[in-house]
Amino acid sequence: MQAKLSALLLAGTILAAAPAKAQEITVWDWKSGDPAAASYYEKVKGDFEAAHPGVTVNYVMQPLDQYYTLLGTALSSHAGPDLFLMNGGAQAKARIPALLRLDDKVADLRKTVIGWPEFTGADGGVYAVPLSIQGFVVYYDKKLYRDAGLDPDKPPRTWADLARVCAAIKAKGAVPCFSMGNKEGYGAEFWFSTMAANEWTAGEQQDFAAGRLKWSSPQVKAILQSWVDAGKAGWFQDGPNSTTKFMDEYEGFMRGEDANTIGLISDVAHWKQFDDFLGADDGVFRMPSPTLAADKTEGDPMMPVAGGIGYGVNKASVHADLAVELAKALAAPAAMQVFFTDTGAIASNTGVDTSKVDSPAAKAILAWLKTKGVPTAHANATAKELEEWHRQSQLLLNGEATVDAAAARLDAVQADARK
Amino acid sequence: MAVLAKRERRLLWVAAVPMAVLALSCVYPVFFALNNALKTNKGYILDRFGLVTAPTLDNFVTAWQRARLGEYFVNSVITTAGAVLLLLAVSSLAGFALAMLRFPFRRFLFLVILASLMIPVQVVLVPFYRTIIALDLVNTRIGLIISYTAFFLPFSVYMMTAFYSRLPRELVEAARMDGASILQIWWNVMLPMGKPALITLGILNTLYCWNDVLISLLVLQKERTVMVGIAALRGEYTTNVPLLTAGIVLAAAPIVIIYVFFQRQIVNGIAVGAVKG
Repeated sequence: MQAKLSALLLAGTILAAAPAKAQEITVWDWKSGDPAAASYYEKVKGDFEAAHPGVTVNYVMQPLDQYYTLLGTALSSHAGPDLFLMNGGAQAKARIPALLRLDDKVADLRKTVIGWPEFTGADGGVYAVPLSIQGFVVYYDKKLYRDAGLDPDKPPRTWADLARVCAAIKAKGAVPCFSMGNKEGYGAEFWFSTMAANEWTAGEQQDFAAGRLKWSSPQVKAILQSWVDAGKAGWFQDGPNSTTKFMDEYEGFMRGEDANTIGLISDVAHWKQFDDFLGADDGVFRMPSPTLAADKTEGDPMMPVAGGIGYGVNKASVHADLAVELAKALAAPAAMQVFFTDTGAIASNTGVDTSKVDSPAAKAILAWLKTKGVPTAHANATAKELEEWHRQSQLLLNGEATVDAAAARLDAVQADARK
Repeated sequence: MAVLAKRERRLLWVAAVPMAVLALSCVYPVFFALNNALKTNKGYILDRFGLVTAPTLDNFVTAWQRARLGEYFVNSVITTAGAVLLLLAVSSLAGFALAMLRFPFRRFLFLVILASLMIPVQVVLVPFYRTIIALDLVNTRIGLIISYTAFFLPFSVYMMTAFYSRLPRELVEAARMDGASILQIWWNVMLPMGKPALITLGILNTLYCWNDVLISLLVLQKERTVMVGIAALRGEYTTNVPLLTAGIVLAAAPIVIIYVFFQRQIVNGIAVGAVKG
């Protein structure tokens, strides 16, 4: 009896001492191989594996131009990674059928992390954990402002100010007022959201997101008209429809070839990158608009802000619980701190300490984020509407379509997409 | 005669100018890649077309480490060589059978193979992926070799069939009269005669397999191939061009070296049979 008991105890001890069964969490993204983000990913992997013995985190970086094709193929086959990165808005929403609903699993994060609407389904459920915040501001070259006789410390606050700035820069004749890259239609996409930020009321933003505000409505047509007017006024450089936004537009701005550019606040075409080239001459302002919604203030423009990228859990994952834990670890304050410091991307976690940033442009953006953010209109359009806006924006800029014709075509696409 | 020679020489000189421009336009991208691979990203953005002033090898080191080119080279070499050998063997056999032998449904089979040329890879991605999962071929080199063979076989079979069809059938009949079996005819007669087409196919398939990203992405998700490593050097929206060109130089180097060393054999191989008699 004693021998049997000893054997059982020994077996129990051996079992207890044996390592947990090895598990591997596979994460797909297009960022983990980026040297700027390397420390962030290493930290999360290190911390997570230490806290979960026997678990290995396997980051698989995919080329972005093949990413969604590959992801779609894998998800359609009920296979693929346990956890994957997505852009917020249309890209994330298109993948909701393959994603695990996270509401009850991320309840503890909801107060400290922002950017959830871009990862929320039509059913109101949350399907991914936001990692970064995306937004549009106008970066300007103070040296070129000085050269044109403008006060570099007084960027435009109203549409009339901006018209005066562009007129002065045009009169100087050295550089165009705006750097514009609309080869893929992204220039018009950014323009649309920056205009809507001030031309639409909060209610109109909601109506557009729900498909109730038509493209042929006066509020939307006003944006299309402003796009045409800016082109006709010569604000953009020659051939914007042949210029890629990423990165021909921004590289031109960094070389000092254009006075303004509508840039980002995530980890590319943003303050950190522009500071590196322009130094103290890198200025930033919020884009004004020609008309103003009833709930907006003249001279105090708002800026479009939305959830940037986020991690979703594959519904078919056999390690779904661990994958949820890893998604939360990727958005944890300590890791996000490294992400922000190294890449300059504004993290979705509000617990990140941004007080040590010394870039004036970054300081300004961080301050505006607290009170000046409004929805990013184009992120609430359907993928079909965006695709058609890309096409119509080029026709409008080339003078091959009228605003009425473009709006009518976009109405038809909107109606079809919202069926 | 002397006048004609003089005129010919003048014409040759005139023709040499556009030929030289053409040659320069071919060499310039190589120069652009090498020149920019030695710049920093900031140096490239500020002066994309200028000569490098402070060359650095950092991009080569980073590309080698970040794209894990050392490890991925082995996968690329094994899968490319395996797939090309398999493709040549199967397509030569199939081409011989379709061109020289008479068997039921021969034309129909050839049409099916031709029809599969019309189907874009993207259309069959999901069933293809499900199949390799079901066969447990994901993350295996043999899986990629089989996949390459399957995807690139229709064109290879078409080309070999077209090539063999132009040869006289009397060759097969004569070999039969000498008592050769079908496999012996293929091995001793058709394979040597098919050398020009096989070399061309070998070169084309080597390029297809070596440069492929999409199929390789699906099959090898851990230990990848060189081109996938290079493709991953591109960022979300931004591209570090010096880093990318350094990676491309490293990835292209083996193919260029092979071509430089075997140039004579490759050109001779292509020229075999070009002139009758």
